[in-house]
Amino acid sequence: MKKYEAVIILNPNLSSKVDSFIKDFEKLLKVNTFNIKKMEDIGRRQLSYSINNHNKGHYLIFNIEGTAENLIDIENKIKYDESIIRHLFISVNEHDGEDSQLLVDSRNKKSESEDEESNVKNETKEKPADNDENNNEEEIVSEEESIEDVSSDSIEEDSKDE
Amino acid sequence: MSKYELPKKFDYKNVSLLKQFITETGKIIPARVTGVSASNQRKLTRYIKIARFLALIPYTDMHK
Repeated sequence: MKKYEAVIILNPNLSSKVDSFIKDFEKLLKVNTFNIKKMEDIGRRQLSYSINNHNKGHYLIFNIEGTAENLIDIENKIKYDESIIRHLFISVNEHDGEDSQLLVDSRNKKSESEDEESNVKNETKEKPADNDENNNEEEIVSEEESIEDVSSDSIEEDSKDE
Repeated sequence: MSKYELPKKFDYKNVSLLKQFITETGKIIPARVTGVSASNQRKLTRYIKIARFLALIPYTDMHK
């Protein structure tokens, strides 16, 4: 038994049918004697480049355990499934039980967009003193973001200094 | 020496981490520039290439 991570990018137009796809895929895994340790539904995500004229994709990550021979059978079946725009099976030494960074990021994004909406509402209602605090927090967040954005540049600059 | 402390465990899913080690044009930045240890640079390279395949980070800035 080897441990694998399966990443599957689904056609974003079929996002509503994800649940039925997951069921079908889990069935396919079980038929081929694969154990499913964990399933993560990342959700729709912007692709860095277009694949088959799709700019978004629905990401699914499975932590699975099974034999290499059966994995080939699964891959042969997946190859011709048109709802999948890209898939990848990676063998790993250990499954870490924690949520993957992708899932955490997508959750943070969701909560951020909700926070922004609530902030807008709060600013109109709350007293000016509270508003100042809110603004400070937002400034800190924006600074951190800008640091991340520039980081690749700063690395290059460092090299010149050396 | 390394300015950016790499966590003990990271993989192709840490997109924001990997993005720090590619240029604006999408190239992998050499270890002699970033000061990353050789073993970590090998991991980074492997994971960046996986993340590129999964469209998490771009191959180049020329994608339409």
